[in-house]
Amino acid sequence: MTQQAPATSLEDMDSIIATYEQRVFRFHLISVRDRDLAQSLTQDTFVRAWAARHTFRGDCSISTWLMRIALNLIRDHTRTDRFRFWKRVSETAIDVSDISSHVPHRDSSLESRLIASEQMALVWESVAQLSDRQRSVFLLRFLEELELSEIATITGLPISTVKTHLYRALATIRARHNATTHKESL
Amino acid sequence: MTLHLTHEQLCELILADSSLQPDGESSNGDSDIVQAHLRACLICSAELRSLRDSLSHFRDASISYAQQEFAHSYARRSSIAPPHSYLSQPLYWTAAAVVCVAALFPLSMHRQRPISGDAPTISAAPQQTAESDAALLADIDQDISADVPAPMQPLADPTAGTTSATSTSDQRSN
Repeated sequence: MTQQAPATSLEDMDSIIATYEQRVFRFHLISVRDRDLAQSLTQDTFVRAWAARHTFRGDCSISTWLMRIALNLIRDHTRTDRFRFWKRVSETAIDVSDISSHVPHRDSSLESRLIASEQMALVWESVAQLSDRQRSVFLLRFLEELELSEIATITGLPISTVKTHLYRALATIRARHNATTHKESL
Repeated sequence: MTLHLTHEQLCELILADSSLQPDGESSNGDSDIVQAHLRACLICSAELRSLRDSLSHFRDASISYAQQEFAHSYARRSSIAPPHSYLSQPLYWTAAAVVCVAALFPLSMHRQRPISGDAPTISAAPQQTAESDAALLADIDQDISADVPAPMQPLADPTAGTTSATSTSDQRSN
Protein backbone atom coordinates (compact mmCIF):
# COMPACT_ATOMS: atom_id res chain seq x y z
CA MET A 1 0.00 0.00 0.00
CA THR A 2 1.45 3.31 -1.04
CA GLN A 3 1.86 5.85 1.75
CA GLN A 4 1.38 9.43 0.65
CA ALA A 5 2.74 12.60 2.13
CA PRO A 6 0.29 13.75 4.76
CA ALA A 7 -0.02 17.47 5.33
CA THR A 8 1.45 18.93 2.17
CA SER A 9 -0.74 17.03 -0.26
CA LEU A 10 -3.88 17.54 1.83
CA GLU A 11 -3.53 21.31 1.48
CA ASP A 12 -4.27 20.92 -2.21
CA MET A 13 -7.88 19.92 -1.71
CA ASP A 14 -8.84 20.69 -5.31
CA SER A 15 -6.62 17.96 -6.66
CA ILE A 16 -7.77 15.56 -3.94
CA ILE A 17 -11.39 16.18 -4.88
CA ALA A 18 -10.61 15.75 -8.56
CA THR A 19 -8.85 12.46 -7.83
CA TYR A 20 -11.19 10.84 -5.32
CA GLU A 21 -14.61 12.47 -5.72
CA GLN A 22 -15.97 9.93 -8.17
CA ARG A 23 -14.87 7.01 -6.03
CA VAL A 24 -16.31 8.50 -2.84
CA PHE A 25 -19.55 9.34 -4.64
CA ARG A 26 -19.81 5.77 -5.95
CA PHE A 27 -19.38 4.30 -2.49
CA HIS A 28 -22.01 6.66 -1.07
CA LEU A 29 -24.40 6.06 -3.96
CA ILE A 30 -24.38 2.27 -3.72
CA SER A 31 -24.43 2.38 0.08
CA VAL A 32 -27.40 4.70 0.59
CA ARG A 33 -29.00 4.12 -2.83
CA ASP A 34 -30.14 7.70 -3.19
CA ARG A 35 -28.68 10.18 -5.68
CA ASP A 36 -29.25 13.42 -3.79
CA LEU A 37 -28.16 11.96 -0.50
CA ALA A 38 -25.04 10.48 -2.06
CA GLN A 39 -24.14 13.86 -3.53
CA SER A 40 -24.69 15.55 -0.19
CA LEU A 41 -22.63 12.97 1.68
CA THR A 42 -19.83 13.26 -0.86
CA GLN A 43 -19.64 17.00 -0.27
CA ASP A 44 -19.73 16.44 3.48
CA THR A 45 -16.88 13.95 3.17
CA PHE A 46 -14.56 16.50 1.63
CA VAL A 47 -15.70 19.27 3.96
CA ARG A 48 -14.92 17.07 6.92
CA ALA A 49 -11.63 16.01 5.37
CA TRP A 50 -10.64 19.64 4.91
CA ALA A 51 -11.57 20.46 8.49
CA ALA A 52 -9.64 17.45 9.83
CA ARG A 53 -6.66 17.63 7.49
CA HIS A 54 -4.30 18.48 10.33
CA THR A 55 -5.19 15.23 12.11
CA PHE A 56 -4.07 13.10 9.17
CA ARG A 57 -0.91 11.33 10.31
CA GLY A 58 -0.05 9.63 7.06
CA ASP A 59 -0.33 6.14 8.55
CA CYS A 60 -2.62 5.17 5.67
CA SER A 61 -3.28 6.38 2.16
CA ILE A 62 -5.45 9.42 1.48
CA SER A 63 -7.92 7.14 -0.24
CA THR A 64 -8.24 4.95 2.86
CA TRP A 65 -8.55 8.04 5.06
CA LEU A 66 -11.31 9.48 2.87
CA MET A 67 -13.17 6.19 2.78
CA ARG A 68 -13.05 6.05 6.56
CA ILE A 69 -14.61 9.52 6.73
CA ALA A 70 -17.20 8.48 4.16
CA LEU A 71 -18.05 5.33 6.09
CA ASN A 72 -18.47 7.27 9.34
CA LEU A 73 -20.79 9.74 7.61
CA ILE A 74 -22.90 6.91 6.22
CA ARG A 75 -23.02 5.25 9.63
CA ASP A 76 -24.06 8.48 11.34
CA HIS A 77 -26.68 9.24 8.73
CA THR A 78 -28.28 5.83 8.33
CA ARG A 79 -28.76 5.42 12.06
CA THR A 80 -31.25 8.27 12.24
CA ASP A 81 -34.99 7.88 11.92
CA ARG A 82 -34.97 10.81 9.54
CA PHE A 83 -32.94 8.77 7.07
CA ARG A 84 -35.38 5.84 7.25
CA PHE A 85 -38.31 8.17 6.67
CA TRP A 86 -36.54 9.97 3.82
CA LYS A 87 -35.62 6.67 2.20
CA ARG A 88 -39.28 5.68 2.09
CA VAL A 89 -40.49 8.91 0.52
CA SER A 90 -37.49 9.93 -1.55
CA GLU A 91 -38.02 10.27 -5.28
CA THR A 92 -34.33 9.95 -6.03
CA ALA A 93 -33.97 6.50 -4.51
CA ILE A 94 -32.35 3.97 -6.81
CA ASP A 95 -34.40 1.03 -7.94
CA VAL A 96 -32.97 -2.24 -9.20
CA SER A 97 -34.46 -1.47 -12.62
CA ASP A 98 -32.30 1.68 -12.80
CA ILE A 99 -29.13 -0.28 -12.43
CA SER A 100 -29.99 -3.49 -14.28
CA SER A 101 -29.66 -1.72 -17.60
CA HIS A 102 -25.99 -1.14 -16.81
CA VAL A 103 -25.12 -4.81 -16.67
CA PRO A 104 -22.47 -5.32 -19.35
CA HIS A 105 -23.42 -7.89 -21.92
CA ARG A 106 -20.37 -9.69 -23.10
CA ASP A 107 -22.61 -12.18 -24.83
CA SER A 108 -25.24 -10.72 -27.08
CA SER A 109 -27.73 -13.55 -26.71
CA LEU A 110 -30.99 -12.65 -25.04
CA GLU A 111 -30.78 -15.54 -22.60
CA SER A 112 -27.34 -14.48 -21.40
CA ARG A 113 -28.52 -10.93 -20.90
CA LEU A 114 -31.50 -12.07 -18.87
CA ILE A 115 -29.36 -14.32 -16.71
CA ALA A 116 -26.85 -11.53 -16.12
CA SER A 117 -29.60 -9.10 -15.12
CA GLU A 118 -31.12 -11.65 -12.75
CA GLN A 119 -27.75 -12.36 -11.16
CA MET A 120 -27.10 -8.67 -10.65
CA ALA A 121 -30.57 -8.13 -9.19
CA LEU A 122 -30.04 -11.07 -6.84
CA VAL A 123 -26.91 -9.51 -5.37
CA TRP A 124 -28.48 -6.03 -5.32
CA GLU A 125 -31.46 -7.24 -3.31
CA SER A 126 -29.33 -9.41 -1.06
CA VAL A 127 -27.09 -6.48 -0.17
CA ALA A 128 -30.17 -4.57 0.96
CA GLN A 129 -30.85 -7.31 3.49
CA LEU A 130 -27.40 -7.12 5.07
CA SER A 131 -26.70 -5.31 8.28
CA ASP A 132 -25.04 -1.90 7.97
CA ARG A 133 -21.67 -3.30 8.98
CA GLN A 134 -21.88 -6.28 6.64
CA ARG A 135 -23.00 -4.05 3.77
CA SER A 136 -20.13 -1.64 4.24
CA VAL A 137 -17.55 -4.41 4.41
CA PHE A 138 -19.11 -6.17 1.44
CA LEU A 139 -19.09 -3.01 -0.71
CA LEU A 140 -15.54 -2.15 0.26
CA ARG A 141 -14.45 -5.59 -0.86
CA PHE A 142 -16.62 -6.42 -3.85
CA LEU A 143 -17.32 -2.92 -5.19
CA GLU A 144 -14.15 -1.03 -4.34
CA GLU A 145 -11.99 -4.16 -4.45
CA LEU A 146 -9.97 -3.18 -1.41
CA GLU A 147 -7.64 -5.55 0.37
CA LEU A 148 -8.79 -6.98 3.68
CA SER A 149 -6.10 -4.99 5.50
CA GLU A 150 -7.40 -1.75 3.98
CA ILE A 151 -10.95 -2.63 4.94
CA ALA A 152 -9.75 -3.34 8.47
CA THR A 153 -8.11 0.10 8.60
CA ILE A 154 -11.20 1.85 7.27
CA THR A 155 -13.66 0.09 9.55
CA GLY A 156 -11.40 -0.15 12.57
CA LEU A 157 -12.09 -3.87 12.78
CA PRO A 158 -9.62 -6.76 13.01
CA ILE A 159 -9.06 -8.63 9.76
CA SER A 160 -10.64 -11.74 11.23
CA THR A 161 -13.82 -9.77 11.96
CA VAL A 162 -13.79 -8.34 8.46
CA LYS A 163 -13.60 -11.86 7.07
CA THR A 164 -16.44 -12.96 9.31
CA HIS A 165 -18.63 -10.14 8.00
CA LEU A 166 -17.75 -11.10 4.45
CA TYR A 167 -18.55 -14.76 5.10
CA ARG A 168 -21.96 -13.83 6.50
CA ALA A 169 -22.68 -11.45 3.65
CA LEU A 170 -21.76 -14.13 1.13
CA ALA A 171 -23.90 -16.63 3.05
CA THR A 172 -26.90 -14.35 2.58
CA ILE A 173 -26.20 -14.02 -1.13
CA ARG A 174 -25.55 -17.72 -1.47
CA ALA A 175 -28.78 -18.66 0.29
CA ARG A 176 -30.79 -16.40 -1.97
CA HIS A 177 -28.91 -17.68 -4.98
CA ASN A 178 -29.61 -21.31 -4.07
CA ALA A 179 -33.26 -20.54 -3.38
CA THR A 180 -33.63 -18.93 -6.80
CA THR A 181 -31.84 -21.82 -8.49
CA HIS A 182 -33.97 -24.35 -6.65
CA LYS A 183 -37.17 -22.50 -7.61
CA GLU A 184 -36.17 -22.41 -11.27
CA SER A 185 -35.34 -26.12 -11.29
CA LEU A 186 -38.82 -27.06 -10.05
CA MET B 1 -21.73 -39.74 -0.52
CA THR B 2 -19.84 -36.79 -2.04
CA LEU B 3 -18.71 -34.02 0.30
CA HIS B 4 -18.98 -30.56 -1.22
CA LEU B 5 -16.94 -27.51 -0.41
CA THR B 6 -17.70 -25.84 2.88
CA HIS B 7 -18.97 -22.26 2.97
CA GLU B 8 -15.60 -21.07 4.23
CA GLN B 9 -13.76 -22.80 1.40
CA LEU B 10 -16.12 -21.28 -1.14
CA CYS B 11 -15.72 -17.83 0.42
CA GLU B 12 -11.93 -18.18 0.41
CA LEU B 13 -12.04 -18.95 -3.30
CA ILE B 14 -14.21 -15.89 -3.97
CA LEU B 15 -12.15 -13.60 -1.76
CA ALA B 16 -8.91 -14.83 -3.30
CA ASP B 17 -10.17 -13.80 -6.70
CA SER B 18 -9.44 -10.11 -6.38
CA SER B 19 -10.20 -9.29 -9.98
CA LEU B 20 -13.70 -10.79 -9.66
CA GLN B 21 -13.66 -11.79 -13.25
CA PRO B 22 -16.27 -14.41 -14.09
CA ASP B 23 -13.79 -16.66 -15.81
CA GLY B 24 -10.85 -15.74 -13.64
CA GLU B 25 -8.39 -18.30 -12.52
CA SER B 26 -8.15 -19.24 -8.89
CA SER B 27 -5.30 -17.81 -6.89
CA ASN B 28 -2.21 -19.70 -5.88
CA GLY B 29 -3.45 -19.98 -2.32
CA ASP B 30 -6.08 -22.51 -3.18
CA SER B 31 -5.20 -25.92 -1.98
CA ASP B 32 -4.79 -28.80 -4.33
CA ILE B 33 -7.64 -30.61 -2.61
CA VAL B 34 -10.06 -27.81 -3.28
CA GLN B 35 -8.94 -27.53 -6.89
CA ALA B 36 -9.24 -31.25 -7.36
CA HIS B 37 -12.73 -31.16 -5.91
CA LEU B 38 -13.77 -28.32 -8.19
CA ARG B 39 -12.59 -30.28 -11.20
CA ALA B 40 -14.55 -33.31 -10.09
CA CYS B 41 -17.71 -31.75 -8.63
CA LEU B 42 -19.94 -30.05 -11.15
CA ILE B 43 -22.26 -28.74 -8.45
CA CYS B 44 -19.57 -26.83 -6.56
CA SER B 45 -17.86 -25.56 -9.69
CA ALA B 46 -21.17 -24.37 -11.13
CA GLU B 47 -22.13 -22.61 -7.91
CA LEU B 48 -18.73 -20.97 -7.64
CA ARG B 49 -18.91 -19.80 -11.23
CA SER B 50 -22.43 -18.48 -10.75
CA LEU B 51 -21.53 -16.58 -7.59
CA ARG B 52 -18.47 -15.07 -9.27
CA ASP B 53 -20.61 -14.04 -12.23
CA SER B 54 -23.22 -12.47 -9.95
CA LEU B 55 -20.64 -10.48 -8.00
CA SER B 56 -18.96 -9.40 -11.20
CA HIS B 57 -22.21 -8.21 -12.76
CA PHE B 58 -23.12 -6.37 -9.58
CA ARG B 59 -19.78 -4.60 -9.50
CA ASP B 60 -19.72 -3.71 -13.19
CA ALA B 61 -23.31 -2.44 -13.19
CA SER B 62 -22.76 -0.43 -10.00
CA ILE B 63 -19.62 1.21 -11.37
CA SER B 64 -21.26 2.01 -14.69
CA TYR B 65 -24.35 3.42 -13.02
CA ALA B 66 -22.32 5.47 -10.55
CA GLN B 67 -20.24 6.91 -13.41
CA GLN B 68 -23.39 7.98 -15.20
CA GLU B 69 -24.88 9.55 -12.08
CA PHE B 70 -21.63 11.31 -11.27
CA ALA B 71 -21.52 12.77 -14.77
CA HIS B 72 -25.11 13.97 -14.42
CA SER B 73 -24.52 15.56 -11.03
CA TYR B 74 -21.33 17.19 -12.32
CA ALA B 75 -23.22 18.59 -15.31
CA ARG B 76 -25.98 19.94 -13.07
CA ARG B 77 -23.47 21.64 -10.82
CA SER B 78 -21.72 23.17 -13.82
CA SER B 79 -24.97 24.49 -15.27
CA ILE B 80 -25.94 26.38 -12.10
CA ALA B 81 -23.22 29.04 -12.49
CA PRO B 82 -22.43 29.88 -16.11
CA PRO B 83 -18.76 30.29 -16.96
CA HIS B 84 -17.42 33.78 -17.43
CA SER B 85 -17.22 33.29 -21.19
CA TYR B 86 -21.00 33.08 -21.34
CA LEU B 87 -21.26 36.75 -20.36
CA SER B 88 -19.69 37.77 -23.66
CA GLN B 89 -22.04 35.73 -25.79
CA PRO B 90 -24.89 37.58 -27.56
CA LEU B 91 -27.23 34.66 -26.99
CA TYR B 92 -26.77 34.97 -23.22
CA TRP B 93 -27.67 38.67 -23.25
CA THR B 94 -30.57 38.11 -25.65
CA ALA B 95 -32.01 35.52 -23.33
CA ALA B 96 -31.55 37.85 -20.37
CA ALA B 97 -33.33 40.69 -22.23
CA VAL B 98 -36.21 38.41 -23.14
CA VAL B 99 -36.57 37.38 -19.52
CA CYS B 100 -36.60 41.03 -18.37
CA VAL B 101 -39.21 42.01 -20.97
CA ALA B 102 -41.34 39.04 -20.05
CA ALA B 103 -41.16 40.04 -16.40
CA LEU B 104 -42.08 43.71 -17.08
CA PHE B 105 -44.86 42.99 -19.58
CA PRO B 106 -47.61 42.29 -17.04
CA LEU B 107 -46.76 45.51 -15.17
CA SER B 108 -46.98 47.63 -18.31
CA MET B 109 -50.31 46.05 -19.21
CA HIS B 110 -51.64 46.88 -15.79
CA ARG B 111 -50.52 50.55 -15.79
CA GLN B 112 -51.22 51.49 -19.41
CA ARG B 113 -54.70 50.11 -19.82
CA PRO B 114 -56.26 52.32 -22.65
CA ILE B 115 -59.54 54.22 -22.13
CA SER B 116 -61.99 52.81 -24.60
CA GLY B 117 -64.16 54.94 -26.96
CA ASP B 118 -67.37 53.59 -25.50
CA ALA B 119 -66.67 55.18 -22.17
CA PRO B 120 -68.69 58.44 -22.82
CA THR B 121 -71.60 56.41 -24.13
CA ILE B 122 -71.52 54.22 -21.10
CA SER B 123 -71.33 57.23 -18.77
CA ALA B 124 -74.07 59.21 -20.64
CA ALA B 125 -76.76 56.70 -19.94
CA PRO B 126 -76.56 57.08 -16.16
CA GLN B 127 -76.49 60.87 -16.63
CA GLN B 128 -79.75 60.81 -18.61
CA THR B 129 -81.32 58.57 -16.05
CA ALA B 130 -80.31 61.02 -13.33
CA GLU B 131 -81.88 63.93 -15.22
CA SER B 132 -85.16 62.13 -15.76
CA ASP B 133 -85.20 61.14 -12.11
CA ALA B 134 -84.70 64.77 -11.12
CA ALA B 135 -87.56 65.92 -13.34
CA LEU B 136 -89.83 63.23 -11.96
CA LEU B 137 -88.96 64.23 -8.42
CA ALA B 138 -89.63 67.88 -9.27
CA ASP B 139 -93.10 66.99 -10.60
CA ILE B 140 -93.84 65.01 -7.48
CA ASP B 141 -92.73 67.88 -5.27
CA GLN B 142 -94.88 70.26 -7.23
CA ASP B 143 -97.90 68.01 -6.88
CA ILE B 144 -97.35 67.57 -3.16
CA SER B 145 -96.80 71.28 -2.56
CA ALA B 146 -99.96 72.21 -4.45
CA ASP B 147 -103.06 73.03 -2.36
CA VAL B 148 -105.29 70.84 -4.45
CA PRO B 149 -104.07 67.79 -6.23
CA ALA B 150 -104.30 67.93 -9.97
CA PRO B 151 -107.01 65.26 -10.33
CA MET B 152 -109.28 67.17 -7.89
CA GLN B 153 -108.66 70.57 -9.48
CA PRO B 154 -112.17 70.78 -11.12
CA LEU B 155 -113.79 70.44 -7.66
CA ALA B 156 -111.70 73.20 -6.12
CA ASP B 157 -113.60 76.06 -7.86
CA PRO B 158 -117.29 75.15 -8.31
CA THR B 159 -118.18 78.61 -9.58
CA ALA B 160 -115.96 78.29 -12.49
CA GLY B 161 -118.22 75.64 -13.86
CA THR B 162 -121.43 77.63 -13.15
CA THR B 163 -120.15 80.70 -14.91
CA SER B 164 -119.35 78.78 -17.90
CA ALA B 165 -122.75 77.11 -17.84
CA THR B 166 -124.53 80.47 -17.52
CA SER B 167 -122.66 81.89 -20.35
CA THR B 168 -123.54 78.91 -22.32
CA SER B 169 -127.23 79.31 -21.55
CA ASP B 170 -126.94 83.01 -22.37
CA GLN B 171 -125.52 82.14 -25.63
CA ARG B 172 -128.36 79.70 -26.24
CA SER B 173 -130.96 82.23 -25.32
CA ASN B 174 -129.41 84.63 -27.61
